[in-house]
Amino acid sequence: MKNARSHLNELLVTLPSLLWLAIFFLIPTLIVLAIAFKPTDFYGGVGAGWTLETLRSLGNPNYPAIIWRTILLSIATTIICIVLAVPTGYYIARLGTRWRQIMLLLIIVPFWTSFLIRIYAWKVLLHPDGLIKKFLASLSIVDIHTSLLHNQWAVLLVMVYTFLPFAILPIYAAAEKFDYHLVEAARDLGARQWQGFYKVFLPGIRRGLLTAILVVFIPALGTYLIPDIMGGPDAEMIGNKIAQRVFVDRNLPHASALSALLTLAVFLPMVAVLFLQRKKDGSEPIIKESA
Amino acid sequence: MKRSRAPLVVTIAVLIFFYLPILILVINSFNASRFSSTWGGWTLAWYARLWHEGEIWHAMQNSLIIAVSASAVSVVIGTLAAFALHRFDTRLQKTQYLLIYTPLVIPELLMGLSLLLFFVAIGMNLGLLTIFFAHVTFCISYVAMVVLGRLQDFDFSIIEAAQDLGANWWTAAVRVLLPLLAPGIIAGGLLAFTLSIDDFVITFFVAGPGSTTLPIRIYSMIKFGAPPLINALSTILLVVTFLAVWISQHLTEEKR
Amino acid sequence: MASTNYLEFENVSKHFGSIRAVDRVSLSIAKGEFFSLLGPSGCGKTTLLRILAGFENPNTGRVILNGRDITDLPPHQRRVNTIFQSYALFPHLTVRENIAFGLRIEKRLKKEIDTEVDRMLALVQMEDQAHKYPDILSGGQKQRVAIARALIKKPEVLLLDEPLAALDLKLRQRMLMELDLIHDEVGITFLYVTHDQGEAMSLSDHIAVMNLGIIEQIGTPAEIYEAPRSSFVAAFIGDTNFFEGKVTDIVGHEYSRLTIDGFPDVLCFNDKHISAGNPVFLSIRPEKFHISRDAPPNSNKRNIMRGLVEDVIYQGLLTKFWVRVQEYRLSIVQQHSRFLLDEKPIRWNEEVWISWHADDSFMLERYSESDEQLVSLPPENIGDVNGEAATPE
Repeated sequence: MKNARSHLNELLVTLPSLLWLAIFFLIPTLIVLAIAFKPTDFYGGVGAGWTLETLRSLGNPNYPAIIWRTILLSIATTIICIVLAVPTGYYIARLGTRWRQIMLLLIIVPFWTSFLIRIYAWKVLLHPDGLIKKFLASLSIVDIHTSLLHNQWAVLLVMVYTFLPFAILPIYAAAEKFDYHLVEAARDLGARQWQGFYKVFLPGIRRGLLTAILVVFIPALGTYLIPDIMGGPDAEMIGNKIAQRVFVDRNLPHASALSALLTLAVFLPMVAVLFLQRKKDGSEPIIKESA
Repeated sequence: MKRSRAPLVVTIAVLIFFYLPILILVINSFNASRFSSTWGGWTLAWYARLWHEGEIWHAMQNSLIIAVSASAVSVVIGTLAAFALHRFDTRLQKTQYLLIYTPLVIPELLMGLSLLLFFVAIGMNLGLLTIFFAHVTFCISYVAMVVLGRLQDFDFSIIEAAQDLGANWWTAAVRVLLPLLAPGIIAGGLLAFTLSIDDFVITFFVAGPGSTTLPIRIYSMIKFGAPPLINALSTILLVVTFLAVWISQHLTEEKR
Repeated sequence: MASTNYLEFENVSKHFGSIRAVDRVSLSIAKGEFFSLLGPSGCGKTTLLRILAGFENPNTGRVILNGRDITDLPPHQRRVNTIFQSYALFPHLTVRENIAFGLRIEKRLKKEIDTEVDRMLALVQMEDQAHKYPDILSGGQKQRVAIARALIKKPEVLLLDEPLAALDLKLRQRMLMELDLIHDEVGITFLYVTHDQGEAMSLSDHIAVMNLGIIEQIGTPAEIYEAPRSSFVAAFIGDTNFFEGKVTDIVGHEYSRLTIDGFPDVLCFNDKHISAGNPVFLSIRPEKFHISRDAPPNSNKRNIMRGLVEDVIYQGLLTKFWVRVQEYRLSIVQQHSRFLLDEKPIRWNEEVWISWHADDSFMLERYSESDEQLVSLPPENIGDVNGEAATPE
């Protein structure tokens, strides 16, 4: 291929997406960061000039608790998802082709279905008149007056429910490529079953593990809808605060400042993980498997 | 060698965990009783009532307009992007990869807020058009990743073979590349369609008066409305989604 | 053969970054010839083929086909067609549609296309499979479809890029014969790229041996085997024993006397007229030795010495010996012309006589330090004499 022509071809196929994402993704993200340094005007809009006041207001004693809760809930979600996803991903990877495809489909379907509906389904289940409550009460596990809804546990449960498919897919992808003779070799060399798992299998799928952690932890940090529907005031996360600033108080600079903080929290682990798995193939498995 | 049963048990538990809530929701949409815990016999009454809810039909119409147009546009842009990512290995593509990958992982909330601020900043009225722009933005990434996955199994010597046999670039693309990638492109389009029709968070930020979509309608019903109606509406949405998954899976399997 | 310069590469170079994949290669190929490019992977043979097909543009040089400069033509305007290593059959088209592809692109009449496709299906004996899709075909069947699909275009040159590499040994040998038959039948020039010396030797009229982007030697299979021009060729084609030595004396017109560390005078054929005092390699193919328990009759052109058998591998058709002579470990192969059990075979740890005729060895000039590694190769690095296995990768 002639060099100049190939360069032109590359630009022609690259520009549509590059321009679109620059305009509708990159610039808006930068605007958020910029508005975080703007004052609020009387109508909740963006005032003139620049200020650090908005960022400083994050010191408000309300926030540390919410930030802390957001991080804790996200970490807990990530850990539970990984613990469930590793055996599931392993099991599916070792199935025959026919069953593997059926199981994969079953994992992928929730990924395609409406987030809102899935949260709502849990609300119905945990509702004071719902099945689970009645079931647990009849076994006297919970008191009839305790609410299963509107607390952190309900939020955590639905977060795991929502993000688990995201964790299973990359782990499955890694487990499928793993050479299981390595585990046999380890057993042959005297490793116990759990040692084979812990010392050979887990390191062997670490790329998938990293991706899984990334695609659960990051969206979890920005969770907003789950506490909004499932949680009460003591289960709020940063996302809820941002939404309140936008929809209730109409304080856009304040929402931006919170978002800037969230963006930072999101990019740190992402850069770290992308750095850990420099090679391209490992960092795109979420969607590849659903194709 | 004896294999542990734990993975099997966990997998079954995970599947029950995934499907039990959905299953109960679907069953309840046919429950004559207003309360989910008591069974009042089979009924289609809730679906019949949906039929008369004009606002829901209006919201569904909005959702369809946006989902069709956004998936069509994002399929074209996303496919081109995937092709560029696969074909060229340059600095530009590394930037492009980052731009496409990031929207997949960052919280929807951030994208929703940033788009809202962007539209406010450029003085654009919130409505169907802003929802369309927002949906194309997140759909591009998904389409690109699905098509890229297909391209990675693609043997490019097939394109060279076509050229070798007398086809110019354009003919090779139309007669060989496109037919072979079609299942992947359609699968990407279907994914974009379901993501668009199901999206709530981003849409909520950039929607304006009169541009209520189905998920926004469902959200306000969850907050203030009648559960049985939501069940029926959700079931319809679930059926649409299952159909899309089934078709796309069928397309990808037939290829093999 | 007609004109010897039907297809010509003139001073062709191709660089990928700092790597010179093809380095100032000039080559001419006669019409109708079966010509092979042979070399280890990374030697530039595939790049040269892709330059001819039009998938790579050379940095310098010209490619001339049938009197026409095709250097800058795009692939679809060249009258050359390729059999790809992966076959590259279109998975969405049937066998018949695959073969018809090239003619459909030309927008030929349907009837005309049908007749041509039928003829090609018959040529490669795939009439029964015409309506199948490629993914259910066996490797050999895919191969035949690929051949038919290329030949239907009536190319001026057919390019074959390691076409047998994906097949198993049995099938490879059968396809080898079929390729030979097809070449005889269609009379088109074949340019065949391979790393397998066995394939190249059995099919080719001429072979160009390539290494590190340059052509080491061009010749008939026999010339390349019997009279390699460089130590690379000698080591790459077949199996050989190398000794490091120095020319001490010129004997008559055609012979020289050498000293080799530890050996007395060795007489060797010297067609390259290397003058006295020059450092050389002496190369002797394993089958050129004679090995015996009794001293061989003296003759003035035979080199004779004694050695100790260190290893014996009986292979039926032949027996391989490793014989220690001074510090060298020689690889020797003997064929059995007589029923072996009647004789008392030579065994491990026996003292033997070995001898070879001066005409059966050849000398190579020593150019570089890297050549030194060739001396007294350990046995596992030595290629198989039948040319079946052990090709350097």
